[in-house]
Amino acid sequence: MFVTAMSPLLVYASGPFPLTRVSLSMASARQTDPSPEPPRVQEAPSVVAAVDMGASAIRLVVAEANAAHEPRVIEEATRGVLLGKDTFSHGKLDAATMEATLKALEGFRRIMDTYGVVHYRAVATSAVREAENCDTFIDRIRLRTGLEVEVIDGSEENRLTYVAVRSALAGHEALVEGDALLVGVGGGSGDISFLRKGEPIHSGIYALGSVRLRQSLSSYHGSHEQKVRLLRRQIHNVVEDIRREMPLREARHFIALGTHLRFAAERISGETHSTAHGLEIPKAPFLAFCDQIMADDTERLVERERLPQAEAETLVPALLACRELLVETAAEKIVVPEASLCGGLLLELTRVEQGHGIEDFRRQVLASASALGEKYRYDVSHARNVAHLAMRLFDQMRPEHGLSDRHRLLLEVAALLHDVGIYVNLKGHHKHAEYLLSVSEVFGLSREDMTIVACVARYHRRATPQKSHLTYMSLDRDTRVGVNKLASILRLANALDADHLQKIKDVRLSFEEGTWVVEAEGAGDLTMERLASLSRSDLLTEVFGRRIAFREGPGRI
Amino acid sequence: MSPAAKTRKKEPELFFNRELSWLAFNGRVLEEAMDTSSPLLERLKFAVIVASNLDEFFMVRVAALKHDVDEGDTAPDSAGLTPGQQLTAISQRAHEMVERLYKGIADEILPGLASHGIRMLPVGDLDTAQRSLLARYFADEVHPALTPLAIDVSRPFPHLASLSLNLALLLSPPNEGEPPRLAVVQVPGRLPRLVRPPGADGNTYVFLEDVIRAELPTLFPGQTLLESTVFRISRDAEMELDDEGDTGNYLEVLEEELRKRRRSRTVRLEVDAGVSDTLLARLTERLGVDADDVYRMRGPMDLRALAGLVELPSLEHIRDAPWKPVAVLDPADMEDPFAVLDQRDILIHQPYESFDPVVQFVARAAEDPDVLAIKQTLYRASGDSPIVQALARAADQGRKQVTVLVELMARFDEQSNIRWARELEESGAHVIYGIRGYKTHAKICLVVRRGRQGIRRYVHLGTGNYNERTARIYTDFGLMTADQDIGEDASAFFNALTGYSDPPRMKKLAMAPTTLRDRFLRLIERERRRAEAGQAAEIRAKMNSLVDEDVIRALYDASRAGVKIRLNVRGICCLRPGLKGASETIEVVSIVDRFLEHARVFYFRNGGDEEIYLASADWMPRNLDRRIELMFPVESKELQQKVMSALDSMFLDNVKSRWLQSDGSYKRRKPGKGEEPFRVQLHLYREAQRTLERARASAGITFEPLDGGR
Repeated sequence: MFVTAMSPLLVYASGPFPLTRVSLSMASARQTDPSPEPPRVQEAPSVVAAVDMGASAIRLVVAEANAAHEPRVIEEATRGVLLGKDTFSHGKLDAATMEATLKALEGFRRIMDTYGVVHYRAVATSAVREAENCDTFIDRIRLRTGLEVEVIDGSEENRLTYVAVRSALAGHEALVEGDALLVGVGGGSGDISFLRKGEPIHSGIYALGSVRLRQSLSSYHGSHEQKVRLLRRQIHNVVEDIRREMPLREARHFIALGTHLRFAAERISGETHSTAHGLEIPKAPFLAFCDQIMADDTERLVERERLPQAEAETLVPALLACRELLVETAAEKIVVPEASLCGGLLLELTRVEQGHGIEDFRRQVLASASALGEKYRYDVSHARNVAHLAMRLFDQMRPEHGLSDRHRLLLEVAALLHDVGIYVNLKGHHKHAEYLLSVSEVFGLSREDMTIVACVARYHRRATPQKSHLTYMSLDRDTRVGVNKLASILRLANALDADHLQKIKDVRLSFEEGTWVVEAEGAGDLTMERLASLSRSDLLTEVFGRRIAFREGPGRI
Repeated sequence: MSPAAKTRKKEPELFFNRELSWLAFNGRVLEEAMDTSSPLLERLKFAVIVASNLDEFFMVRVAALKHDVDEGDTAPDSAGLTPGQQLTAISQRAHEMVERLYKGIADEILPGLASHGIRMLPVGDLDTAQRSLLARYFADEVHPALTPLAIDVSRPFPHLASLSLNLALLLSPPNEGEPPRLAVVQVPGRLPRLVRPPGADGNTYVFLEDVIRAELPTLFPGQTLLESTVFRISRDAEMELDDEGDTGNYLEVLEEELRKRRRSRTVRLEVDAGVSDTLLARLTERLGVDADDVYRMRGPMDLRALAGLVELPSLEHIRDAPWKPVAVLDPADMEDPFAVLDQRDILIHQPYESFDPVVQFVARAAEDPDVLAIKQTLYRASGDSPIVQALARAADQGRKQVTVLVELMARFDEQSNIRWARELEESGAHVIYGIRGYKTHAKICLVVRRGRQGIRRYVHLGTGNYNERTARIYTDFGLMTADQDIGEDASAFFNALTGYSDPPRMKKLAMAPTTLRDRFLRLIERERRRAEAGQAAEIRAKMNSLVDEDVIRALYDASRAGVKIRLNVRGICCLRPGLKGASETIEVVSIVDRFLEHARVFYFRNGGDEEIYLASADWMPRNLDRRIELMFPVESKELQQKVMSALDSMFLDNVKSRWLQSDGSYKRRKPGKGEEPFRVQLHLYREAQRTLERARASAGITFEPLDGGR
């Protein structure tokens, strides 16, 4: 079934078929209750669709699938529309670009209607997200085509791409052994993840989008060679930034996505190996091909390679970005899987009955969070102990707090990282944590998610949330309530390891006469913990209206 | 223009001029008209084809060359001839051709028909009673439709429609010493050209222009008629659409263009052979035609009027026995073609095999509630086409998506196409009126159906139009398949055409103008490389015309490397075969027989891993660059064999085959001593019959046990 706790059902009556947007975004995932529906019996596979509005093109993929089968693509359509050209040069989408996009989407809608597509996801990335007139544009799309487009942020893009790659490269060495760099150069950004045995431990969005790079040079009137040199320098600087955050040298595998890579693979077809997992381009011919392509300006590329203008314009920046990253790694070849953002959307659309969304990626998110913790030299034993206790508390308080699995995951991340501020200074480290976390990337978590994590971490000690706290106040009311609840749990969990010695292994919660009794299972003297628990339950009492009693469990040694 | 076109050197000795090659083709059709061993009505049919072919040739090709000359274009073609030189050569050969044609018409065919009771009589040969009845007919029916126009300074020469018949006459001047006055009477196109004189027996006719001519004095009472002649003009029909125009008004633009067509320049004047120099001079001056453009006809003009005679009933003895197409699907399979396609592909070789399964394919799709969408190209659909009607029915229900690309640019068929387009649109289909800058020549029909196993696509792809009438006289191949890759390509093709997507990368199909040219060149080059590597390399191909210079050069390169190349080119062939150091391994044969050879087949040996393709495109620049075309593979071994046995038999013909020589002439191949005559079309017809009988025999023998009547 498509309708789950996480997905509000949106039905539009326009057009012959009502369309249901299956929303998976974090923002809309909050505050929805599970709406249990009887499972639908489906004999024939159902047809779903994914629309990706990128910076240089919009794409539609229609596929059919049922629970038992991988999605089978039945139709694809692409329209080159340079949304990014507008946004990245003057901050908003022009009327002509919007009209061209609307026209193309009308066509997509017609294709979807042919198959009676009901379930779909349409997403827009940075080119729309960063446009001043983003909201108006999304509204016009809804009015003209009935399509409900979600604007997703980079982390969601990263996660969806990862979903697609994980499926396309299932069993491939790049996901099984050692480290791999996963590079997706889109029009608006370069989405880069560092994978260890297939798990993303670092990920980030970087200014390597091909349209963006190209646009940044548009006002420069030099020769083609000068432009390329400038472009290389620009890319080089970004790659330097990435190197500071990820151990690029350790990557033995290089996985790259994007139409430009596939184009390159086709052109060096003599050297390219086609495997069950996709294409593999050896390093040397790829570098040679890049050098050759760089020598041509756009006009020559259009004529010689018979490329559409839009593709030719972004080919050089995209390949250069890949090239500069490749040479920083230890990889000897590029793996180009049959994977894309649309592919990730389809996988999630068709596997929805197994649950979906970021909480399904707990392992990857936590791996990435731990990598961040290591970066700030956190006390890993304390962090894990607190996280464990926080989870125990969260689970046992479910009937009281009514929060979702997603909140659970954010709490777990906050618990792991609550002490990173110590890296800056022990004094006021909760405030340093807030700052560090609000600008850090954790795989799969959106900016808003990270803001929540930052706030929860901040309130692990000292002051409780105040109206004068800017970050906290930037959240909407519902989110703030969520932060209060999570922070109250974290404060208690942290108090239970006040000595940083992990004396308490487990915690049980019982409710006796209006009081929560915290029963700690552990060894040694728990006086510190008892005192801390009582004083740090202030927020808990404030939020839930319950008093707290501390009791040492019967199993204590 | 192809990228190679800009850089290639001129080697006129390697190419034939396309116009002269076309005239040679029409000459081969004329041979059929002159073949005394053929039944008379068949000869008449070929004579009509020769004449109407010439009409189109003048209106399109000659007109274009004249336009080039007017523009001062003196660039030689690949054969080294300037437009002016081409026009001179064309005029000379066209005059010879008309001479031969009318020798056949006036001296052999019409007298021959007369001996079988089909008579074209001059009015003078009728008896008095018949003549007075004819005068009545003139007064009642014809006269009201006439507008006699005297021409003088104040009254300019009227605008006469292209290909219409007219009478020009000279009247004596009112004042002595002045030149005779010129007058024109248009022969009404709405009235039947062949008039049956009352009281005459069934197959006696008088030409309408003769009826008018006999009554001319009544049209100009009180004036002295000095002379009269029938004449016919051909105008430039070349259309130039304004690409900057608004697409929304494309239909109006086209209708306007059709109206304008009537006003454009005169490129040919046909007159009675006996016309006086005075009258002819007056006409040529008024029409602005050169002496080279004047054709003196010694027989009836506009032979199209005689086409109806070919179909006359009860003249079987002077007509070929009909060759009935056989059914490739048995009645049960016809009920559910989709079920058949779930099992196997179907290949139809028209007209030996019936086109009905294709009509049924669309008709079933229209009715089937599981069908989600039907998408089709329509180029030269026939008048009351059952396919168009099925599409309209499907659209009418409102539950299916029906997308039809109607090609409005199909030459000379625009009027009828506009009507279909409007009708379809009214019934709710999504009609696309062509693609800007390109003619859609691809023949494809896609049916999307929701089956128990999910979405399935069924595709028909053909080398010929969705026209059940021409499907009985044009030889074509059509493939029906449920192949998944072809289905996806078909969807992608329509998405590109409807503007929903940019032109896609295709898995199995190749599409012009995007990839087809490259694909052909690469396929030819691959054979060349195999030959160079010492492998046996071979290309066999069949098409209507071979003009494209890049392709021809690629073939020469392949030939130089030793690739064996056999080409069956029905019409124009600019490739010069048998040239030392260029085309020694290339043979070209043309078949002109009762059916119009129309299929496009391409075979590449590919080192033993043979590839066979069918296509809507010829090897012509217009197909590869200016049209939307499709090429598709035939992949099943069984169907490959079917295609190849038909293609290979083209080269065995020794009755209707003409082999192109390196000097540009065509030589007929006759059966050698002790050799049986082999006429390929007859052979294919018999093969089709035999296959059907075999299938019936193997399916027909069933044993039914008797159970004693209980």
